[in-house]
Amino acid sequence: MRRNTLVLGATLLILAIFAWAGWANWEYRQQEAEKLLAGAAQGELVPAPGGGTLNYVSPLGGKPAPNFTLDDLSGKKVSLASYRGKAVMINFWATWCGPCKIETPWLVELRNKYAGQGFEVLGVDTEGDDLVASDKAGWAKAGANAGKFVAEMKVPYPVLLDGDSISRDYGGLDDLPASFFVDRSGKVIAATVGLTSESDIEDNIRKALAE
Amino acid sequence: MGRMNWKGTCAGIVLAGLGAFGAAEAYGQLISNSPRNGSVVKTDAVQYLFPEQVSVPAGKPAPVTLHFRVAQGLHINSHTPSDEFLIPTTFSIPDGMGVRLIDASFPPGVIISLAFDPKTKLSVYTGEFAIHARIVATRGNHLVEGKLRYQACDQNQCLPPRTIDVPINVIGK
Repeated sequence: MRRNTLVLGATLLILAIFAWAGWANWEYRQQEAEKLLAGAAQGELVPAPGGGTLNYVSPLGGKPAPNFTLDDLSGKKVSLASYRGKAVMINFWATWCGPCKIETPWLVELRNKYAGQGFEVLGVDTEGDDLVASDKAGWAKAGANAGKFVAEMKVPYPVLLDGDSISRDYGGLDDLPASFFVDRSGKVIAATVGLTSESDIEDNIRKALAE
Repeated sequence: MGRMNWKGTCAGIVLAGLGAFGAAEAYGQLISNSPRNGSVVKTDAVQYLFPEQVSVPAGKPAPVTLHFRVAQGLHINSHTPSDEFLIPTTFSIPDGMGVRLIDASFPPGVIISLAFDPKTKLSVYTGEFAIHARIVATRGNHLVEGKLRYQACDQNQCLPPRTIDVPINVIGK
């Protein structure tokens, strides 16, 4: 009986050691993973819960949208802060981006539909990602292309230039189009990368308007 | 018999403990390898394949065929894209490398349309493609860094334009 008790005690001790080692290992890896995630501060594509499609997960979700001040096509300074109290869709796009061209008429339509409720789109042109600062001709062409594109598409909302200068603040945007939906308090409530449907965009606008 | 049961029970508990440890270890691996927690590794959309080295007669125009591969699932605009806003694929050799690019001949693009916009036809390169360049090299051994500029997309999104190095060892004889 005494021997049985000793064996049982030793077994439980070994079991406790295993459990502790397993827990410590799990805890360590959790912390490392969290550190990595915090350090990355970059949006990423992850599988949707049901599988199949990839959802964009932004590090800005639920956080205040980083403020910025950029020139619009006419050279006027426009800041995000001046839209506080409105729901805003910040749409990063470029003229060379086919999917951006597809969604632009949807944005025009939705902007006109919801403008009366306090909604605005800010189109942020990220034209010259690989242009060096000294390439004046390249920048001039990029700006001219943006102006021509906006005129052709009859875009009624502000279009801002040099989106590359703020893309890092928005999670390092490697893919376009990328959109951030900001509510009236200035918080990012949704973000998308790549072409989504017009109804998905409208759903996010409604969320931003808190309908 | 009772002693056997104790031993069996104890062995079972130890094995269960080992199993639990293994499971915790496996979960730890899953966490650290999950794409949610690691940065996404992105490779270049276009890879330069070959040649690494060419021998050409010094001072005379010579043909060089450069081979590239576009990553699976992506396409890049051809040299003559179908829309004025699209960025064409171009090749250049910077000055001062002892090798001058006379001209470059690009393959015709493959005409595709994408699911999100079936009406629009795009002229693109996918998979492997080759550029036929004509160069003139001075006598000697030159490590040339040619430049390929392209802009890649997949079905739903586009990557910013990129310029990659095309390293070629040109021997002018």
